[in-house]
Amino acid sequence: MSARRPYVRSMDGWWRRDPFFVRYMAREATAVFVVAYALVLLVGVLRLSQGEAAFNAWLAALRSPLSVAFHVFLLAIFVYHTWSWFRIMPKTMPLILPDGRRLKPGLITGAGLAAAALLCLAGFAVLMGVKP
Amino acid sequence: MEVFKADVAIVGAGGAGLRAAIAVAEADPKLVVALISKVYPMRSHTVAAEGGAAAVTRPDDSLEHHFNDTVGGGDWLCEQDVVEYFVAHAHEEMVQMEHWGCPWSRKEDGHANVRAFGGMKIERTWFAADKTGFHMLHTLFQTSIKYPSIKRFDEHFCVDLLVEDGRVQGVVTIENASGEFTLIQAKAVIIATGGAGRVFRENTNGGIVTGDGMALAYRHGVPLRDMEFVQYHPTCMPGTGLLFTEACRGEGGFLLNKDGYRYLQDYGLGPATPEPRNKAMELGPRDRLSQAFWHEKQKGRTVDGRHGAVVHLDLRHLGEQKLRERLPQIYELAEQFLGVDPAHEPIPVLPAVHYTMGGIIADGKCASTLPGLYSVGECSSVGIHGANRLGSNSLTELIVFGKVAGIEAAQYARSVNHGDAAALDKQADAVAAKALGIATGNGGTERMAVLRTEMAKTMEEGCGIYRLGPEMQATCDKIDELKQRYRNLKIDDQSRVWNTEWLLAIELGYLLDVAQAMAYSAFNRKESRGSHQRLDGYEQRDDANYLKHTLAYFGGEGAPRIAYGDVKITKSKPGTRAYGAAGEKADADRKAAAHD
Amino acid sequence: MQTERQPPMTEPVKTIRIEVLRYRPEQDSEPVVQAYEVPFTDDMSVLQGVQYIKDYLDGTLSFRWSCRMAICGSCGMMIGGVPKLSCQTFLRDYYPAGLRIDPLAHFPIERDLVVNVEDFIRKLEGIKPYIVPKEPRTLEQGEYLQTPGQLEQFLQFSGCINCTLCYSACPQYGLDSKFMGPGVLALLHRYNADSRDGASAERMQLVHAEEGVWGCTAVGYCSEVCPKGVDPANAVNQNKTASAMDYFLRFVTPKAVANKGAANKAGAK
Repeated sequence: MSARRPYVRSMDGWWRRDPFFVRYMAREATAVFVVAYALVLLVGVLRLSQGEAAFNAWLAALRSPLSVAFHVFLLAIFVYHTWSWFRIMPKTMPLILPDGRRLKPGLITGAGLAAAALLCLAGFAVLMGVKP
Repeated sequence: MEVFKADVAIVGAGGAGLRAAIAVAEADPKLVVALISKVYPMRSHTVAAEGGAAAVTRPDDSLEHHFNDTVGGGDWLCEQDVVEYFVAHAHEEMVQMEHWGCPWSRKEDGHANVRAFGGMKIERTWFAADKTGFHMLHTLFQTSIKYPSIKRFDEHFCVDLLVEDGRVQGVVTIENASGEFTLIQAKAVIIATGGAGRVFRENTNGGIVTGDGMALAYRHGVPLRDMEFVQYHPTCMPGTGLLFTEACRGEGGFLLNKDGYRYLQDYGLGPATPEPRNKAMELGPRDRLSQAFWHEKQKGRTVDGRHGAVVHLDLRHLGEQKLRERLPQIYELAEQFLGVDPAHEPIPVLPAVHYTMGGIIADGKCASTLPGLYSVGECSSVGIHGANRLGSNSLTELIVFGKVAGIEAAQYARSVNHGDAAALDKQADAVAAKALGIATGNGGTERMAVLRTEMAKTMEEGCGIYRLGPEMQATCDKIDELKQRYRNLKIDDQSRVWNTEWLLAIELGYLLDVAQAMAYSAFNRKESRGSHQRLDGYEQRDDANYLKHTLAYFGGEGAPRIAYGDVKITKSKPGTRAYGAAGEKADADRKAAAHD
Repeated sequence: MQTERQPPMTEPVKTIRIEVLRYRPEQDSEPVVQAYEVPFTDDMSVLQGVQYIKDYLDGTLSFRWSCRMAICGSCGMMIGGVPKLSCQTFLRDYYPAGLRIDPLAHFPIERDLVVNVEDFIRKLEGIKPYIVPKEPRTLEQGEYLQTPGQLEQFLQFSGCINCTLCYSACPQYGLDSKFMGPGVLALLHRYNADSRDGASAERMQLVHAEEGVWGCTAVGYCSEVCPKGVDPANAVNQNKTASAMDYFLRFVTPKAVANKGAANKAGAK
């Protein structure tokens, strides 16, 4: 009878063992905050449906110092979310062109981040043009 | 112990073993093939081969050219009828590999590309970047998965052959993971266990290249042929011995001494031209290049490196782009292991043991003198390399003769029945007891690493690039002594699960037996030929007395018995090996003579 | 044959502390750390360090190795908690702090630094890792034509040495070993991308599965640790796009219906 007795190691706390995994978990965690902000916006839509007074009350709540701090925090999270999203995006595409030349992943990431930045600026410009 | 019944057992799952297994499976899918390897197949040392596999391809090439290059390269110690078969079947095997998916490097028009290689008159070496062996091995392994009749015994270490009724009838293996024995009954056995370079100190070989199959056949009375012919590859990494492929030179690399001088032109390989010329300068045969290094070292013209004398492999003029495209693995090796950027600095290199030309005696059909026992690949001496192998002939050898061995073994297996199981059981039990005896060590005092180091050192001293009678005699005596001391091993590890110290101890036994065959064969060949070069009054080739194969027969606890066998000469009468300008003149003369 | 390495006499002898996670099933109930002081020179690899231990300090240490040049794939270990090939990792980079060596993560430990990789081998065998020719060709007709551009499509993914460092890097595989994993999926892609092969549709059935590409969450560590630049993360994730396309196109094209037929055939086998 064989004396083999394979030992299986636990995966408990696996993500804490390597900085790479910590960064990965941080990336994944940002999705939670995206959901959180979506909920905020969903409430706004609900208030809009309840009439001008309700909507204005919602807007006023958003201007509270706590809410502004939360939004700044969210902005930072979303910047990291966007950046990490475009970092991984090249992996989802074929990087070898039909003639054998390579696409540089950095180019794809850069293009994505640039496009995201442009959209943000455009959106900001539109917002600034809207009268309160 | 457990018993597995196969029709054909193959020991070794490198390029040759895998090709043989596929050949058996294609010849007759009803035959059960036991494919046994002490490592997973993709770890086999075929994986490290870099340069390429030769096959006549270009319209300006011919089988006769490849034949002449090989026979001349082997210093006329080749079995010429076998070489004729070899060159004639090389191209179809390359195409077969391609059909199986091997990613050969291509020309723009989509056909396979060929490159120049040492000692070859015309470009005929097929290649897959600078990882040809890797790609061939993985192609063969992955293709072998198609055949359900191939049953693999991965990480099973073969400890003996079973011979009964005058023929081989199976093998006994140890499962590395459990230390348990298995009896694999087989009607034919193919040994494909590779070479034995690890008997030397500096070598390009992986840890597993320990002459296992050679020793097993040898111990059962099969002679080992031409064991004195050991190839030193001229461009290896100092310290580790790792290989820098000949393709570096095929792409145009130079070898420079400490004065930045291309010294090969002083050794009958010139004149030096900036472009690579076949069979000249850096594309001369490996034995000549290694010998030139030795002479440069004697003259004090080599460079002093931290691991001893080296010369410089200069690839700077190729440029970084070409280097990264054609020699990517070399680039990585130089950068990571030596901290050298080949596009800007020359790489320090020196000769190291690379290939074992000799091996288990095999006729043109891979059969040994023991019925049912076949051998193929580096472990065998089928007769194509003679006294010196040309680069890129051995990868071709694996598949040309892998197919032959498989077909022949299949045919033999169909022609006989399984033997008496009880008798085999009894033999297998004795084998197991002997193997376990090595494990328990009986409280010995000799450390394996010490014996191994002493063996490697004495082989390097006595059986180096140039050899002297008294030194070879000293090596023979030393090996005899080491074999005695081997019986007194100290083994720390007394377990059964993954006891690699035990398996290494068995390997050391194989190494010592093979080393002994090499040393005695070398001592007794009183001439210089190919890679066996002497400086003690036997500097010349002596066709009158030594146009013969050396045959070493196992002497048990004593010395091997050395005998000689004839060489099969057909079309090519022994001549002078001429390279460089002399070679071109010889070719022109030969052409002119043919027209007269 | 292990190395007979001793440091050259001319250099002052440095030693480095190597901690190794040992496990001897016949005597240990669980793995235990053992420390060794190993003399070394600047050009010594971790593999050579471990060989020194086995040769001169403790013959019972078991580990796999062979080629010493990062092509056979045998010598993978966790070095400082990161999956690496010990033959191309150098002791000088861990001096003077020392290093800790563990067997490759996410595989059961058989003994010391030897892990059980049978699961990987079975998965590799299960993907039809061979050419199923798109069109027949006899040997006499010579090689299939394949341009350098076509070769480039799959050559990178064929460079996998089966070292399984990517499996040790992949937390999804560690959490659920039913996942096919980066290396095998990269090999699958290698065959799908080879212009000579005609079995893409069959292999895509494996890709579509939960254990196929959808078990991957794009951690990306596999490509980081790969010693041969195979980029398995790319092989897996571009096939997520391919898999999704297949899923939507099946409602549109007749070929998609044929694919389903092939899938049913494959399922019936």
